Amino acid sequence: MSANSSVTVVQLDSAAQANKEQLHLLPCEIEHNGPAEVSRFYSPTVKDHKHEMTVSFRGRPLKGQEVNCPQGYTGLVLKEVQRPSSDQEDRIVKVSSVFNNFTRWNLETPPTSDDGVVMAMMWPKLAEAIHGPIDE
Amino acid sequence: MTTKKKRSPPTESDSWVLIAPDSVVASRKTRDPDATFVSLRNPATDGGSQYLFSNGDMQVFEVKAFSEDYRSWFIGQRVQRDGRLLYVTPVDPLFLLLPYLRKAGAEGKFQPLQQVVMDEDYPGCMRLLSCTHSVDSLHHVADEKEVGSMKFHRYSQEKTMEWLQKKVERIVRMLKKSDISVGGGVKSSTFIRVKEENHVTEVDYLCYAHGLISEYISEDLSKDLHKHLQLPEMSSPNKAEPPSKKRKLSDKPVEAGEDYTKFNSADFARKPPKKMTAAQKTLAKVDKTGMKTMSAFFSPKVKQENN
Repeated sequence: MSANSSVTVVQLDSAAQANKEQLHLLPCEIEHNGPAEVSRFYSPTVKDHKHEMTVSFRGRPLKGQEVNCPQGYTGLVLKEVQRPSSDQEDRIVKVSSVFNNFTRWNLETPPTSDDGVVMAMMWPKLAEAIHGPIDE
Repeated sequence: MTTKKKRSPPTESDSWVLIAPDSVVASRKTRDPDATFVSLRNPATDGGSQYLFSNGDMQVFEVKAFSEDYRSWFIGQRVQRDGRLLYVTPVDPLFLLLPYLRKAGAEGKFQPLQQVVMDEDYPGCMRLLSCTHSVDSLHHVADEKEVGSMKFHRYSQEKTMEWLQKKVERIVRMLKKSDISVGGGVKSSTFIRVKEENHVTEVDYLCYAHGLISEYISEDLSKDLHKHLQLPEMSSPNKAEPPSKKRKLSDKPVEAGEDYTKFNSADFARKPPKKMTAAQKTLAKVDKTGMKTMSAFFSPKVKQENN
């Protein structure tokens, strides 16, 4: 029996109750998964003037930029409902939050439109040209 | 130099950040409100990749992971160590059906589709038959015969080449009118239009589009297409690609690893890197000053922040 026969089911109806949460993509790896007091220690130090976002994180100044999801696209955070006991079982995930934009933070260099993730937002256009059906 | 602090091995995440078409999210209002990640045979690598089916298997999407080193998320009041952004975009189901049709086509017989699209390793491939633009688009790549209410198909190399050529032409049109035609058009904030400077030729566009398509077809089909498009012979690249960047964003499909929910792309390999694929060779030949490879397209222009 192939392990590829099990699938991961996304319960999309959970999107209706999903939170709208702020997302920050940080320029460092945090070796932790779990709760953090973001609104207490991070969010209040975000400064946004003249479209220049800055924040101080652990004594390091970071430069940020808002990144919007491409038109026609929605951001989702999926969370596993319950881990199955074997790899033969299907996994189930639900939508825990939805977002339309997130803030990308860099170290010294201010994020520009050349930035990878920012550029990646153009991918749907390209994908459409590659994958759209050929008519006639 | 400070000594590098050892990172603990990544623990398995139970949460993922992704960007998906509105239609996927909207399908929750349909009769079939669930979407499903399924492992299917990747037509370019022959290995497994993750695909997402939604709307009662009527739509199929590929999943790409954009990952950089040293990234993590804050999601609301939570930290997520895995800093990847997963991208869900439509994939043409014909690309995924093509390997099965070609394999069956080797026998030269007309066959019913249910007999052709079977895969012990990837039983999920059956779902492809429910997709719109799969069965009713087969005439692009196969000869059809109808006997009574039954339909039979036979792979056609000629038709496939024409179909792929139409795709290439559409990509070229799209690249030309878009900023990303020349790697975003924006090389720096000073906005230099590399396009005009370097006289990007028609052939450059074709080679670039051929490279993009080659991410979705087998290597030999990619070579055939290269010939069909009458693209110049591949010579050894005169401009070597800069050594692989440390900070790389992956444009690679999400690999179905042993734990397929890892969505890992780091250890993905099309073939051992000793040999360049046809697409890579083609791209290597293209004048890179005005063009970017897919991976470069998704890479930041800054070299590295930490050197």
